[in-house]
Amino acid sequence: MKVQRITIATLVIFVIGIGIFAQTLHQQEQRSKSQDLQHKGNYLVSLVALHPMENFLGNKRDYIVKTLAEYVTSDGLIYCIVQDQTGSPLLSLAHRDVVAKIPTEVEQRSLYVNGLIQQTYKMVGTGHTINEFAKPIFEGGQRSGTVRMGFDLPPISMFSLERIKLMAIMAFFAFSMAVLVYYGVTLALRPLHAVNQNFRNICIDSVSVSPGSFKNGGVGEIIKGLEQSVFQLKDRYEKIQAENIDLTTKYGVISFEKHNVFNLLDSINYGIIVTDIQDNITHINSYMLNLLDKKKDEVIDHPLGDILVHDQITAFLLQQGALKQSSGDSSIEATFPELASGESFLVSLSYLSGRKEGVIGKVISFKNITSEKSAENAKHEFITRITHELLTPLTTINSYNEMLMDEEIDNIEMQKEFYNTINEETSRLTSLVKNLLNISKIEMGSLALHKGLVKSDWLFDDCLTTVEGAAQKKNITIERNLPDSFPSLFADKELLKVAIINILGNAVKYTPEDGHIQFMLTEQDDFIIFEVIDDGYGISKKDLPHVFDKFYRSTDPRVTEQTGSGLGLALTSEIVRLHGGEIEINSKPDEGSHFKIRLPKEEYYLGKQ
Amino acid sequence: MENNKRVLVIDDEPHIRRVLELKFKNQGYQVITATNGEEGLDLIKSQQPDVVITDIMMPKLDGRALCERANELKKKRPFLTIVMTCRISPTEQDWIGQLTDTVFVEKPFSLQTILKCVDQYFGNQG
Repeated sequence: MKVQRITIATLVIFVIGIGIFAQTLHQQEQRSKSQDLQHKGNYLVSLVALHPMENFLGNKRDYIVKTLAEYVTSDGLIYCIVQDQTGSPLLSLAHRDVVAKIPTEVEQRSLYVNGLIQQTYKMVGTGHTINEFAKPIFEGGQRSGTVRMGFDLPPISMFSLERIKLMAIMAFFAFSMAVLVYYGVTLALRPLHAVNQNFRNICIDSVSVSPGSFKNGGVGEIIKGLEQSVFQLKDRYEKIQAENIDLTTKYGVISFEKHNVFNLLDSINYGIIVTDIQDNITHINSYMLNLLDKKKDEVIDHPLGDILVHDQITAFLLQQGALKQSSGDSSIEATFPELASGESFLVSLSYLSGRKEGVIGKVISFKNITSEKSAENAKHEFITRITHELLTPLTTINSYNEMLMDEEIDNIEMQKEFYNTINEETSRLTSLVKNLLNISKIEMGSLALHKGLVKSDWLFDDCLTTVEGAAQKKNITIERNLPDSFPSLFADKELLKVAIINILGNAVKYTPEDGHIQFMLTEQDDFIIFEVIDDGYGISKKDLPHVFDKFYRSTDPRVTEQTGSGLGLALTSEIVRLHGGEIEINSKPDEGSHFKIRLPKEEYYLGKQ
Repeated sequence: MENNKRVLVIDDEPHIRRVLELKFKNQGYQVITATNGEEGLDLIKSQQPDVVITDIMMPKLDGRALCERANELKKKRPFLTIVMTCRISPTEQDWIGQLTDTVFVEKPFSLQTILKCVDQYFGNQG
């Protein structure tokens, strides 16, 4: 549609142009004819005015009349009048009615003006425009007459045949040009339409388009080039689309992984703070937020120094910063008395490195090592205590032996006492070493049970005999409670004896002088139950959950003043467990303790085999 | 052989107390004994012994605390302290350095070793 409009507009402009051109031609023609007339008029009137007056009289006048008559007919000369000094016509070459139609003022001006004059006027009655040329005739320096000539200047018609011809030719050429331009443009646009359709096809459904459908040269070449570009763009677009899908997938995976990493960081029992190179916090996990008692938005993007106000850690970080950053991880132990009283943390610093940027931040981790420290302290305490327990009887044996060897003991009775002491201390040492070995074997899982039939009353008596001496020293009464019949056990008698003696011995150890202990043996269903009930110091709520822990000893001074390694009840618990039994404890501070060991009977145990 | 030097033995282990008491009595020393640190400190103040032989691991007041109290008392009246210890950990070295007239003897020790320490102390005193 646009092309058609352009064509119509072009035609209109052509027509207007032709009109303007015709108008200009018309004016030019008029101007030219007017000038021709002026030259002709001036020439003729001057020529006639050269004649003396006598030539317009008599016979001489005929020659002039004859000459002028040719002009009158051919060149539009309407009239030629020669008048004498008085204005009387000497020669009048014109119709009478024409002369009568000349305005008087025109005649008067021509008769009285000296020199050549040209006047234009409308002839009365006819409406014709007449150009009158007048020139005086001089003879002997005197004006003797006037020559007047009137020329008709016919109006040039706008629509003359010639002009119409010219306009028609031009219109034809204009129309031909418009048609040619229209078809030329249409022809030129055809490939563009095709390309447009191709583009649509490419954009809509990727229909295959033949790139060779255009002729070589001109627009076709351009179009071809364009189309190749479009195909390249299409390929690029498809690749980008594929990459976009790929990137979207990767983004999803990365987001998921990031979420997982954050979840992982939040789930671990470590405090983690991640900072950027300016020491602003970029990430912090839940554990650390709990430790600092802060919310995430109070911490993220804040300087580390504002959040972690801890002189020791700050000094550590500064010290590490001053050292070579890539020298690996390092750590210190720190506590937070106000935030986590009694807990110890291992604060470690490591550096985050980018692929090219070098160090891009820090990772500070806080590992709660309270239990490790506690275990370490317990282990240290245990080693110290065990060393003491081992070396004390050794020292006794060594020094007593030295006294005997140096013959510093003369008295025979005293010598016997010394030998007895050496024997007792040797037994004590042996027992302690056995306990340690048993604990060690149980821990290693290499303790072999030598099981056999064990009569429960024999076991009961053996245990009682072992502690009776110590009980008597403190004037402690041990009350025996035994059933009528004595069921047997299938057990390692020596180990079971160690287990029961540990409990019975503890009862004696931690019951004050003149105290009371009940040692009971009962049957219940398929089980034999050993019970030890004392009215001793009892066990505090704090200590109760730990009494079976290895190396654990109460901090109660009434306990610490007694010798002990913290191994007895741990060993007892393990021995009972190895025999398929259970151990229970009920205790109240200052009221006493009640230990109950449940062991399967021999029949039950054998029945299970 | 009898001299007027007084030895205080502090240990919760009766056999150790007994053997040290005998050894020093045989050497002519006056010997007094205590079964825990608290009782020992009281005796240091009241009996003013010239030598204090003490265990490190004891009930009520342990050997470490006893040594620190004794160190204060030595500013007024000097005396020798012999500490019977099992082992000296690296962290205890600094603490030991702060004590005056104190000798550490590791268990199991020879009685002669302790006796030499005492003799050397009194020998140096002239």
